[in-house]
Parts: sequence; C-alpha cells; structure tokens
Amino acid sequence: MELSEYVQKGFQMLADPGSFDSNAFTLLLRAAFQSLLDAQADEAVLDHPDLKHIDPVVLKHCHTAAATYILEAGKQRADKSTLSTYLEDCKFDRERIEVFCTEYQNNKNSLEILLGSIGRSLPHITDVSWRLEYQIKTNQLHKMYRPAYLVTLNVENTDSRSHPEISFSCNIEQLQDLVGKLKDASKSLERATQL
Amino acid sequence: DRPEPKAGDLVKPELLCVGLWSRKWRGRGQRCRANSSDLGRCCWTCRRSIRSTWPFCRKWTARVRGRDHGGWCLVVWGRGSRGVPHGLLASLAVVAEFGRIAVEFLRRGSNPKIYEGAARKLNVSSDTVQHGVEGLIYLLTESSKLMISELDFQDSVFVLGFSEELNKLLLQLYLDNRKEIRTILSELAPDLPSYHSLEWRLDVQLASRSLRQQIKPSVTIKLHLNQNGDQDTRVLQTDPATLLHLVQQLEQALEEMKTNHCRRVVRNIK
Repeated sequence: MELSEYVQKGFQMLADPGSFDSNAFTLLLRAAFQSLLDAQADEAVLDHPDLKHIDPVVLKHCHTAAATYILEAGKQRADKSTLSTYLEDCKFDRERIEVFCTEYQNNKNSLEILLGSIGRSLPHITDVSWRLEYQIKTNQLHKMYRPAYLVTLNVENTDSRSHPEISFSCNIEQLQDLVGKLKDASKSLERATQL
Repeated sequence: DRPEPKAGDLVKPELLCVGLWSRKWRGRGQRCRANSSDLGRCCWTCRRSIRSTWPFCRKWTARVRGRDHGGWCLVVWGRGSRGVPHGLLASLAVVAEFGRIAVEFLRRGSNPKIYEGAARKLNVSSDTVQHGVEGLIYLLTESSKLMISELDFQDSVFVLGFSEELNKLLLQLYLDNRKEIRTILSELAPDLPSYHSLEWRLDVQLASRSLRQQIKPSVTIKLHLNQNGDQDTRVLQTDPATLLHLVQQLEQALEEMKTNHCRRVVRNIK
C-alpha cells in the first residue's frame, strides 16, 4: 500500500499521545469511519467537546489521513497484520493499534459494501411487473381474441441515478421462450456455484 | 331505350358500372337498383331477369362462356365513343388477375405501372383497372378485418349480381388470403416494442478500481426487441437473486393464463 507523505505525517501526529490522548484518538477514529460510512455525516462529525482543545488544522489533517488510509486498506482488503505493520511504522503504541484494528474490524463489512458499489456497470434490472390482457379488437382488425402480456423491467443506472423502464409486449409463446432462457441462466448459475 | 348492341359494337369496351341495369339507368358510372318490374328489359343475363334478355346478349354470353343458357355473368355495359353500348365480359381470368394484383398490393404497396400493363392487355383504360383492383382490395380488407364467415361473404357478394363461378372465385380469394391480410392489418395497431429474443451470459466480477479481491456473480442479458420493423437491442445486467425473482414472477404470469378465470373469459368472449 502506497500512501502519501501527507497521510504519514497525519498518522504520526495521531500516534503522539501529547497531541491526542486515548479518548481523543478513539473519537477521531470513529469520526473518520462515520464520515465515510454514514450517508448523513457532515463537517459536524468533528464537533465533539473532547476534541475542542486540539488545533482544528491538525484535527482536519489527521481526520483526512485516517479516512484516506481506511479507504486504501479497504480497497486492498488489508488484514490485521498489514494494518499493524503500517501503524507500527508510524510509531503507534500497542494499545492504539488494537483500538484501530477493532474499529476497522467493526466497520469492515460496511466499508467493503460501499467500495463495491462504486463504479460503472450496465443498467441493472431490479424488478419486473407484468400485465395479462385479452385483445378483442382494434379499429383495423376485429375479432382478434388473443391474449397478450405486457412486461415492464425496472432498471437502475448506477451513475445517473435514473430509473428508466423497459416495456415490451409478447404473446404466450414468446413469454415462454423468455422464461425458459432465464431459467437456463439460473440453472447454470446454480451449477457454477456448486463447482 | 337502349338499342340492342351489335357485333361491331364490341370494340374497345369500357367498364361502366357493375350492377343490374334497367330502364331506370341513371347514366354513366351510376349503379342502378332495379326491382323486378323494371327488369323486363334488363340486358343482364341475371338470375332475377326472367330471361327477357336481348338475344344478342345471350348469344354473346353463350359464346364466351361456352354454354347456351340464360346463366349469368358479369356483363358490363357502357357507352363508347360512338354512343352505342359496349360490353366487357369480366371473365374469371380477369378477376383472378385483378385479385392477384390486389393481394400483391396489400403485401407490398401499390404500383401504378401494373395498372398500365393490365390495361393494355385487356384493352381498357388504366383507370378502369385501378378501380377494379381497388374495389377488390376494399372487399378483401373489410372482409378480413371483420373476419366474416363464408356464408356472410357469399351473401355480401351475391348482391353484386356476379356469376356463380365468379362468386366462388372471390370467396376462394378471401379464404386463401385472409390470414395474411389480418397479419398485415395487425401491424397497423398501436404498437409497443415486442419481444424478439434474449441472450444471457454469466459473469463474475473479480476486482474493480475501488475494491480488489471480489467474487461478485452477475448475469448479463442482451434483450432483442422489435418495433415497427426495427430491431432494438438492450444490454442489461442483474444479480442472481433478482434473476430468480424474475423467473418466479414471470412463471406466475404464465400460470395466470391457465386459471379458471382466464379460461372462462377466453371461452365466452368470441
């Protein structure tokens, strides 16, 4: 894991018991995780009375450094030994390393979900709705008397947050064809997971 | 009173009107509706006239049809350039040809050049051919649209006063082509994209820029849709859980067709 000097400096400050006592350290760490993982978090995350005595510039630096490191660790799926090694290099004492690793462990799943959801992908089908109708006549054609389905796929676009819909009509045979093919796909999926 | 036509008159016949003629002939291009009392002098060798046809007509009919009886045929009379009535026997072959042209025009759209070719062959004006073909097109589309039964079709055509063979020809033309014509008409309905086919692919995402060491299965789907003759392709993705959900929902949709409710509706609305 390559981290910038800025991050390293921030961590060195965090390691110093003179700048951050144990309580302040834990609070800052929690604030860093909160800013990343909590959708409602904002600058107020650092507005804790026990952090008031610390120079705001230093506070922001360390907060940023911690957040950057957490993201990088999450991206690389760092394990406890990797974390410990880096923190030791930054002159963290045993106790602080333990606190860090515990906090990291607690938030690991949410972090990975967040990181996994970033990125481009194809429009994603989220749901389907269908309608069955019996066609009787049009102005061009009388006595039709045939059933037809209208299928709507709800689709989500990850970047644009738009929700376009894809609608199409089909008769019974076509719907059977569609369902058959989707069933093939799900059976292949089942077989693949058993390998 | 119209003079009896003579042999020399049957030159350049013109299509005038299809129908029964009587003393109450209202003029060129008009269709007259006669009741039996007027038909005494009807020149048509038709079922309703009590054989009071001009001898010339009967002979002419007999010669063309090969039978000497008061049987009936499509005989159309008009006034030619010499002001004397002419006749055009629309034979079965002619109507068959017009029928073929009509069906072809329904499939591919009309082509005015065809009218000219046929007009030359039959020795009539191309307007004549056009009206004839358009009449047949209308007859076929209306009958196909309403999906009328054989009996109803025969009754409808009967009032036109054609020969029995001609009626049979028209009926056969209708029955042979009605399915195709109905397919063409169904394309005129308000249209949504319709399903054509689907391709799928299983993928496993292993890493991305923001997260390494992943195992994220997904299904990529290529959906082919048709609209107004154009094909539209959409590439979509879904996860295994949603795929199973889709299959379950759509299977329920198919099952719905087999329920008592739907069966009852299909049985009773006809």
